[in-house]
Amino acid sequence: MSIGADAHDPSDPAGHLPSVAGEEMIQARRIALAADRLDISGVDRTGALRHDGERMSAVASRRPSPIAWLIAPALLLFVLFFVLPFAVMVAMSFFSSNPIGNPHAVVTTRHYLRFIEDSAGIFHDALWETLRIGIITTIVSLLIGYPLAHWMARMQSRLGHALTLMAVITPLLTGIVVRTFAWMTILQDKGVINTTLISWGLIHKPLPLMYNEFGTVVALVHIYVPFMVLTLIGVIGRIDERLEQAARSLGAGRLRAFVEVTLPLSLPGVLAGSLLVFALSISAYVTPSLMGGTAVLTLPMLIAQQVNTSFNPGFAGALGVVLLSVSLVIVVAYNRILARLAGEQGLA
Amino acid sequence: MSVALNKRPFDLGKAAYLGLNLLLLAFLLVPIAIILVFALNPTPYISFPPVGVTLHWFDKFFETGDFMRSLWLSLWIAACVLVLSVVIGGACALALARGHLPGQAFLTAFFMSPLMLPAILTGLALFQSYLLAGIGRPVWGLIMAHTLIAVPYVLRTTLAVLHNFDRRIEEAASVLGASPVRVFFEVTLPLIQPGVFAGGVFAFIVSFDQFPVSLFLVVPKGETLPVVLFNYMKFDLDGAIAAASMVSILLALTVVLTLEKLIGLKAYVKL
Repeated sequence: MSIGADAHDPSDPAGHLPSVAGEEMIQARRIALAADRLDISGVDRTGALRHDGERMSAVASRRPSPIAWLIAPALLLFVLFFVLPFAVMVAMSFFSSNPIGNPHAVVTTRHYLRFIEDSAGIFHDALWETLRIGIITTIVSLLIGYPLAHWMARMQSRLGHALTLMAVITPLLTGIVVRTFAWMTILQDKGVINTTLISWGLIHKPLPLMYNEFGTVVALVHIYVPFMVLTLIGVIGRIDERLEQAARSLGAGRLRAFVEVTLPLSLPGVLAGSLLVFALSISAYVTPSLMGGTAVLTLPMLIAQQVNTSFNPGFAGALGVVLLSVSLVIVVAYNRILARLAGEQGLA
Repeated sequence: MSVALNKRPFDLGKAAYLGLNLLLLAFLLVPIAIILVFALNPTPYISFPPVGVTLHWFDKFFETGDFMRSLWLSLWIAACVLVLSVVIGGACALALARGHLPGQAFLTAFFMSPLMLPAILTGLALFQSYLLAGIGRPVWGLIMAHTLIAVPYVLRTTLAVLHNFDRRIEEAASVLGASPVRVFFEVTLPLIQPGVFAGGVFAFIVSFDQFPVSLFLVVPKGETLPVVLFNYMKFDLDGAIAAASMVSILLALTVVLTLEKLIGLKAYVKL
């Protein structure tokens, strides 16, 4: 499609049948276009290259020291067990079956077509449900995490700070399966909340707190809120408290000083924390499958189903690529925000 | 000071603020604490309120072959992952911080990326690679997978220590005539030790509690504890799970206290 568009370009004399040189030109123009597009979205490709060039010249005077070789084991580990496997996953998503085990395996896009056509009507729903759960979890985590982070960042007592930090990190280090189990004991029909409410006579039938999206989101929020808190503490802690005090001495109320001074300054942290929680919650598997019951079907659950029940690694790979693409967009945005935050810190 | 000036009008707001935050802390901690209640409650299924105290569930956990086999497997894998990730991650951190490598920022982001990409996809990708390579699902494959996820943690704690300490100590040593090798072994290494240890502690618990990466890489009868618990929970919800969970919780508490001692939890604030 883009080749055709480029070939019709009046500046290309080769017209409909581009020569080899023409193709090269088109290729070059496409790269330039891509770079332009990246520029528009804020990624300074050429700038980054130039920057690297500068660094290269700086390195020429400070050559990589022998210590640089210590990176080799990590590089080997990451190439063999990270880069290659992901390449394999992407490749497998384009094969009809295992290309080594089955000599009749052909290259196909049918796994993607199956996802796009969605004749059973479940794949698009699963994608949407995954994103929806991710968005709700992120918003609730932010609403819960922000006050907590603000409180902890502004805490004067060192002991209080250490204790609250422990209270946030201990759940973080407890296994996901364990934390999901905790919520099952709380939210199930005979769980803590329902039995308590029934014994108090407030309700007669157990509330449907589990095996639905509600239970899933509650448990996911509990699991991922520490990430939000830890990201926000750093950002809020870096905001000079005197700014807020200045606003208040000029007559702003506590709330107004917060809304007009601290909150806007903490927005990059809010964004970074939200992206992190979103990226984590769209890839959650344990919690939606235990808390969601049959009512919830997310992309990671679909992937596990394809591997364990349907044994269709090709389609699982295609679903994996869909999830990976969403995640990559978020990861890039997250890293850019963190880099900007680090830059601000460097200037300060 | 302005608080002192307008003390009374802010009391209510302050109390509400404090109350809200204590409530939020309770939201984080109560679910963990409640597991202990169910681990000690003698009823055959999870039920509330508790009717007594028993150690029956701990007995059941420690006497069930499946649980014990998986507990030992998980501990063994976590120990291997600790050693591997400390060596690989520690070396990598040194190279990144001291090696004058080109594209350092990119490399750091690259080595941290297993934390951000969906872990279940890392598991899927490795599963498919092992399938393609025809090596089955060996335990060392699981160990390498966990190591991949654990290295970023070691990297983060070690880099934090490396960035914090005063480079002039190293320079002083070399000005006084120490060779670079000697500077490394006698100055740099002892200084980064707490960071590397903290990373190792992290690596251990990340591996011990790992689920999404393990899911596709374990074989029947060779499952790790979280996978066994997950499969058990799909059908049964009794106190044995709560007892097993206590292992994970106690481990988390130990790790938190160790980390606080080693390098202080503050290092984790900037994730």
